[in-house]
Parts: sequence; C-alpha cells; structure tokens
Amino acid sequence: MSWRSLTNSKTAPIASRPQSSALEAQGRRSRWSATAREGGAVAMATRARPWQLCSAGSAGAVALATSGAASAEGPGRPGQLQDETLGVASVPSQWRGVQGIRGKTKGCQTASIATAEACAQTQKHADAEVQTEAPVPAGVLPASQHDSPRLAAFLRRVEAIVIRELNKNWQSHAFDGFEVNWTEQQQTVTCLHTLGYPPAQGQGLHVTGVSWNTTGSVVACAYGRLDDGDWSTLRSFVCAWNLDRRSLNPRQPSVVVEVPSAVMSLAFHPTQPSHIAGGLYSGEVLVWDLSRPEDPLLWRTGLTDDTHTDPVYQVVWLPERRHSHRFQVLSVATDGKVLLWQGVGAGQLQLTRGFALVMQQLPRNTKLRKPHRGETEVGATAVAFSSFDPSLFVLGTEGGFPLKCSLAAEEAALTRMPASVPLRAPAQFTFSPHGGPVYSVSCSPFHRNLFLSAGTDGHVHLYSMLQAQPLTSLQLSHKYLFAVRWSPVRPLVFAAASGEGDVQLFDLQKSSQKPTVLIKQTQDESPVYCLEFNCQQTQLLAAGDAKGTVKVWQLSTEFTEQGPRETEDLDQLAAEVAI
Amino acid sequence: MAEVEETLKRIQSHKGVIGTMVVNAEGIPIRTTLDNSTTVQYAGLLHQLTMKAKSTVRDIDPQNDLTFLRIRSKKHEIMVAPDKEYLLIVIQNPCE
Repeated sequence: MSWRSLTNSKTAPIASRPQSSALEAQGRRSRWSATAREGGAVAMATRARPWQLCSAGSAGAVALATSGAASAEGPGRPGQLQDETLGVASVPSQWRGVQGIRGKTKGCQTASIATAEACAQTQKHADAEVQTEAPVPAGVLPASQHDSPRLAAFLRRVEAIVIRELNKNWQSHAFDGFEVNWTEQQQTVTCLHTLGYPPAQGQGLHVTGVSWNTTGSVVACAYGRLDDGDWSTLRSFVCAWNLDRRSLNPRQPSVVVEVPSAVMSLAFHPTQPSHIAGGLYSGEVLVWDLSRPEDPLLWRTGLTDDTHTDPVYQVVWLPERRHSHRFQVLSVATDGKVLLWQGVGAGQLQLTRGFALVMQQLPRNTKLRKPHRGETEVGATAVAFSSFDPSLFVLGTEGGFPLKCSLAAEEAALTRMPASVPLRAPAQFTFSPHGGPVYSVSCSPFHRNLFLSAGTDGHVHLYSMLQAQPLTSLQLSHKYLFAVRWSPVRPLVFAAASGEGDVQLFDLQKSSQKPTVLIKQTQDESPVYCLEFNCQQTQLLAAGDAKGTVKVWQLSTEFTEQGPRETEDLDQLAAEVAI
Repeated sequence: MAEVEETLKRIQSHKGVIGTMVVNAEGIPIRTTLDNSTTVQYAGLLHQLTMKAKSTVRDIDPQNDLTFLRIRSKKHEIMVAPDKEYLLIVIQNPCE
C-alpha cells in the first residue's frame, strides 16, 4: 500500500488522541506501528534517522493538537467571540528524507489445477444366469457297520445327560405363562385395499372368484354373474393386482384379461407365479400366463366332446402322480363330471382322467332322496383336496350332500356321456346332506379327517371323514353362504362369506356359537361371493363381493399366530366322533 | 449295533419326545425317527447353530466349551448334545 493512502485515511483521529501518540512515538522503534499513529505526513518511517523523524513528527503533532484544542474551546464561551488567527501549523515534508520506499507487492495465485483425462472401458464381459431349481431331496445315510462302536460310545456318553434334561423339562414350570411377542401386535381387522375394475363394475358384474398367487403378492379376481340362469354371452374379465408394487392403483389392475364368457372360478398355479387357471360359464377351462400381456392365453380345452356342458364352478391344480413338479388342472361342473386336464403342445388342454357322478352309483350309507328313473347326474359345485392324502378329495354337490371321493377309483361310471377316456365313479362315502346345495367345501390343513362345508341353507357343517353325521352344525346366516375356508395358520379358525354382505371369522377355541369377528364388506348387504386366505402373508384375507370390489383385509394378530395347544384342541374336537 | 438301537429307543420312548436323530460331524443324519425331509432340515440347521454356539462359548472363554444346547419354542423344545464326531438331537413336547 502506498504512503499516500495511509495519510488520507489517518488524518482524522489525530486530534482526538494527542497524548498517546506522542508517547508512542517515543517509545516505539518499530517502523509500522509508529507511522500508523503519528501525523498524516509521516507516512512511513525509514531506516535513516528514525528518531529524528519521530521527534519532528511529534512536535508537529503537538502543535496541531494545541491549536486544535484552542479552537475547540471557542464555541463553549459565547461571550468571547472573537476572530483569531491561528498560527500556521506546519508539518515538515518528509518526502526527500524518505529513501527507498520499501514496498513489497505480494500476490497469490492458486496453482493451476492439474487435470488428467482417462477413460475406462470394459474389454471383456461375461454373461451369467441364475436359475433356482427344485431342491433335490437329500437323504439320510443308511446305517453303516463300521461306525457302530464309535456311535455306541458316543451314545453311552450323552445318554445320561439327555435323559436328565428330558426329565427336568417334563417337570419344569419355568416357562409357564411365558410368551414372547416377536411381531407388532395388531388389535383389529383393517381393510388394506379396496380393488375394483370400473368397466366390469359398470357392467354390473360380480366378483366370482379370487385367488392369491404362489408368492402371495398378486391377487387376481374373476368377474362374472352368479345369478344368471340362462346361457350367457356376457364378456367378462380376469384382473390381477400386484400388491407389493408401490404404484398400486386400486382402480387399475396390473393385468386385465378379456374373456369371451363369464369366469366362474380361478386358481393360481402352486409354483409358477404367473400361471392361472379359470373355469368358464360355457364349460371351458382356460389357463393364462399373466406375465405375457399381449397374448396371455396358454391353454384351453376348447369346445370338444370332452368339455363340460355346464358352468365350471371350481378349478384346482394337482401335482402329477409321477412328476410332482408338474401340475394338472382339475375342473368340477354341475354336469356331474370331474375332469383332469393336462396341457399339451399347441395350447390344448387334453383330458387325462375323468370321473362322473351318477345318482345310482352313490354309496348308500346315507339315506338320500329317491333318484328319478334313468341315470341322473349329480352336479358338483365345489371340490377340496385333503392336504394329507393327495388322492382323497371331497366334492360338494347340488343335492346338498358332500361326497368323499378318491382319484384312484376304478369302477366305471354308468353314464352315456361321451368322453375320450373312460369315466369312473369316484364316490366312496356319502355324508348327510345340508338343506340346500353345497357351495363350498374346505379340508383342514391340520387334521386329516376334518372338513367344512357351507351351503345355501346358511349353515356350516364340520364333518369328520369317519362318520356321515356332521360333528357340529353352525348357523351363520339367514341367507346363502357362498364360501368357507380354513385358516392356513390357526388350526381352529375358519372364515365364511355370507349373502348378507359380511365375512365371518370363527375361532372354535374361543366360541363355537358365534363368530369372533364379523367384517362388514358391503354396505347394502349385497352378498360376498368368494374369499381366500393368503398362505404367504398369513395376515391377509381377500374377499370379493357382488358390487365388483375385492377387499383385502388385514387380520389382527390373534388370527395369525398359533397358540401352543391348538393342534391338540383340534384333535380333541375331531375325536368327538360318535361311535 | 443293538446297543445303539436300544439307547435310541429308550430316549425316544421318554415322556413327550417327538423325535430323535443322530447327526455326524458333517451335518449328515445317520439315525432318525422322523421322516426324511424333516430330518434333513433339522440336521442341517441345528448343525450350523451348534457350531456357532460352540464358537461363541469358546470366544468368550477359551477354557470353556459347549456341553449342551437347548432351544425352547412355542410348540416344543429341541435339545442338542454335541460331541467331537456326532450330534444327538432330541425334540420334546413339554406340554403338561
């Protein structure tokens, strides 16, 4: 900085601090601080004669100060206004004495940023694919001879301690009443989603079937009408929503399949997450692949001699006998036929086995209404397979009596219906009837002998396979009951869909007379036609009603967590078989 | 040979025991009273858990070692007696 600018900026404070500057000027020898405090002309002290400069400067400063002080007194005494000439304050110029102005310019500059360019490019790449395979069942090592002595010695060592622990455990009360809650407890039943397809709802279609897929994240529903008595040419839809997607729009399904005839039932494939089978009002059975939106139809039965002549009310996927990872479709219709289809080649479903129900061939253990003359078919409206015996199934019929049937039946059916494979009579046992057609049956996943049936008389019957009379009969509704399902996690819980528009959840442990929870699905009492539990996310229950909406309910924790004694209680219930 | 079977039968016939199995050091079951798939599942999982428990005990105190492992669940209790070469797994339902 130049001494000139310093002079200009520093002239002001001189008058205010005369004394201090004089003192400082004498006391200090440092170049910079002295110049900053002294008179304006003394900008920078130099090496030559610093103290001479100081004294001159201070004298000048003092002179200036005194004259300034004198003038400052003026305005305080108004009586003595007088003109005064002040002495000239001279400050000797120092510019000749200033030698060698030392200035230093300093600059700074950021160093230039070093940049370098480099590119990377993969030269080689490898493709790899991952595919899950069905697990190879591992086996137990057979008992080998040479291991025996070491094995015996080991068992001798540990037997005592194990027996002691077993005894202690049997008598221990340490864990009585001790329960751990791993998940957040949900106290009430809430409606998670309300799904609907507006074009189908606009046509007044009902939801006739719902199904969850094998991963538990997609729910599909079928639209049709359940109260059509005549041949219907209604176009209908199969819609699927993926509930795990963030962009779930309840009014816009992720997949919509248009079907030429009303779909009466749906079933997702047990291992393929996108294959779904549907039974139509026209008697056809179709299988779609929902992952191909432009052409979802995989297989169809077509309208051959083999096809059902009546609406197909239920379809079920069954594992093949020899290759348990391949599946076939079983369809059940009111023309009395139970048909097993296999998908072959160019999209055609071929009949592999067939059964026909004829009135005369039904087992006579229960007294039924007298059959008319001639063979009469028994219309089947529902089917449920036992989870313990894969060839055993229960059929619900229009006559109101459930039938115990077997896939391995050999007796030929006395029917004149044409078919490419010989039709057999599957019925082995007849149970005592409901007051009206049975619309739904469900076999318990926890007990091999128990199953439920629900019918138009509003009753739910709990049957044991061992006797014809039901173990209990509960009246749930004054209108029809359309669906009943056992819970996949709680052995004593089942859900029923009624014609009064509600879903009733029964917990046989709590009360066997009235429902534990009554969920009102529709506001105007239009019936709920179908319901399904989600086997993967066990707290979800989907129910479809006559207004064309599917509601996904989240159940409270008491319906999803098994208590410690439930299987025993169920066994006890089943053991009440009247001898 | 007979001694092995007798010992296992004694344990299996104890009050409340649902299943017994003997697993070798690699986690492969040698003797079992349950069905194949359940046995293989129990053997694989419990073998890993026993190894983990053993290393936990040894890490805390190198002079210490695992003698017995018990897992109590809502439905039953699983007891594992570990050894250098074998594992004895007993599943008991302690409901009174």
